[in-house]
Amino acid sequence: MSAAAQPTGIEEFLLAFADDEHLMGQQHTEWIGVAPFLEEDLAFSSIGQDELGHALMLYELVLELRGVEPTDGSVDELAYFRGGEQYRSSTLVEYATTDWAEALVRHWLYDTIENLRWQLVAQSSFAPLAEVAARAQREESYHRQHARALLDPLLASQISRLRILTALDVMLPMAFASLSPPAGESEAIAEGLASGSVLDLAGPLTGAVTERFDTDVAAPETIVADRRVRSADFAPLMSRMREVFDLDHSAVW
Amino acid sequence: MHTYEVFLKKDGRDEFRHAGALDAANDALAEVHARETYIRRAEGDRLWLVRRDHVIVADVDFVAPNADKPHRHHDGAAVAARRKANREASE
Repeated sequence: MSAAAQPTGIEEFLLAFADDEHLMGQQHTEWIGVAPFLEEDLAFSSIGQDELGHALMLYELVLELRGVEPTDGSVDELAYFRGGEQYRSSTLVEYATTDWAEALVRHWLYDTIENLRWQLVAQSSFAPLAEVAARAQREESYHRQHARALLDPLLASQISRLRILTALDVMLPMAFASLSPPAGESEAIAEGLASGSVLDLAGPLTGAVTERFDTDVAAPETIVADRRVRSADFAPLMSRMREVFDLDHSAVW
Repeated sequence: MHTYEVFLKKDGRDEFRHAGALDAANDALAEVHARETYIRRAEGDRLWLVRRDHVIVADVDFVAPNADKPHRHHDGAAVAARRKANREASE
């Protein structure tokens, strides 16, 4: 079976997480050289690299389920060369921004949700997935410390607090939309791969946002988003990611 | 913002050594950025951060006078020279 085969429900479920990690990692690493200060250039793109590592581990699981040996080539085919309609990423990670406040708020929102998502598969009946979750969670506590340490002083000053809350208005609807259950989730729950639905994370997310930003927020009454549909920002992002590949797809490095 | 001095050591080996400095808004951010900037390639297993304004800096005039007390340098050179002179005189 090739990497481009029609994915099964379980594969769809894993791809939704893998693609989120992959694109979030890419977005974070694009701050290298343009973050507000040198140490933050390093920190933010390091965190991006961690997310890319999580994506790699999840893509490898998808390949194993397909009976394809995970190699640089087969992983690249899955990560970079599917058609846009075959990606399962959320708008939260596709959204393009050059605003540091938005990038930082998205970092906090994404990592808060990511932590909850890993918890849903920490006791997975699919042992390799539980192992990936354990490894990722060790890195995630550091990611959350980073986001918290930056937001603490920024929310304490009136001017930056206003910028952060403006960014929250933009990012929060996308964060809730990312909790729309991906295809294959019910199958994953039925088989014990996951212990619950991402939809149930809306409550914990609402509570965490209210506490973190000290502002009233409410989860939308219905969360509907289709991970089979790409936002306008996806194509330019993917084109940047493929830029070197596209010079010569068959080149050997 | 505060300036923090960064010290590293390898676990069970050597003493803490000064690695550099960085500016950070708070202690938690200083930890994060020291980790990314100074130990991203596992240059140390232990990390100390000291706020520069917590460092006790002695006045230069207070420190300097001890530079001109050669009698405190007991490296044996004077004794060795005297013994050599005695030995040569008795030959």
